[in-house]
Amino acid sequence: MTKKNLLSTWILLIALTLLVVFFSLFFDGENYLATIILLISALKFLAISFYFMEMKKAHVFWKTTIIVFLLLFIGIVLIIS
Amino acid sequence: MNKNLVKNMYYPPGGILMWIVIFLELITFGMALVAMAAYSKDEPEVFHNSRLLLNTTYGTINTLFLITSGFFMALSVRYLKDGNAKKSSLYLKLTMLGGLLFLILKTIEYNAKIDAGLTLEYNTFFSFYWMLTLFHVIHVLVGLVILTIVYFDLKKKKEQTNLDDFEASAAFWHMCDLIWLLLFPIIYLIF
Repeated sequence: MTKKNLLSTWILLIALTLLVVFFSLFFDGENYLATIILLISALKFLAISFYFMEMKKAHVFWKTTIIVFLLLFIGIVLIIS
Repeated sequence: MNKNLVKNMYYPPGGILMWIVIFLELITFGMALVAMAAYSKDEPEVFHNSRLLLNTTYGTINTLFLITSGFFMALSVRYLKDGNAKKSSLYLKLTMLGGLLFLILKTIEYNAKIDAGLTLEYNTFFSFYWMLTLFHVIHVLVGLVILTIVYFDLKKKKEQTNLDDFEASAAFWHMCDLIWLLLFPIIYLIF
């Protein structure tokens, strides 16, 4: 991964973190809040695994496994809550 | 299947053993968080009021510390691959600093919770809060020990440092980020 890619990923992660906190503060109590927070967090999770951990270069098996885990986790939490 | 595909499948960045550990950890924390979400259905008000007792600012700053620390770790790996051990070492130190700052802020947060009487036995929400965050803190501590060992190895061997070991240590450190990215929204923001 190039240094420029890593820097862009870091900026994106900081922006998404602040965005998720903004949503939780200003849309507290809304029905869709949990969905938005979890989806943004899923994006951050993928950014770290694909860019910082270089999963982007890994075999499709590993990429699929991490995405399936994330979809299952977010899906189950959303269904329950 | 061609030879490269087979090789890539058995050699994810950081090594297959590290990724088995990472998935086991993610599944463990994931199941605990799913259990937390399930328990919240029985006591929605308790979970909501307890969540409001947490300091979201501390949680957010700690998220920024870990993300920035992960960024420095990725840069450290990049520089080592480029054969620049000096810069790799500098970014590795910054990575560890990020981890230390995370632990310092977590200690401040824990002290405030203990002073307010919000301990493990206070209610179901705080039982989950303490167990999950403390288990994560243990991982950060282990990660810091691993990075310290890698740092001294890098200092001694410079460019001859084993890249596979270095990448495996980096993968462990990023795993701490990943776990926190699951904990933070659910514990601090959702209920």
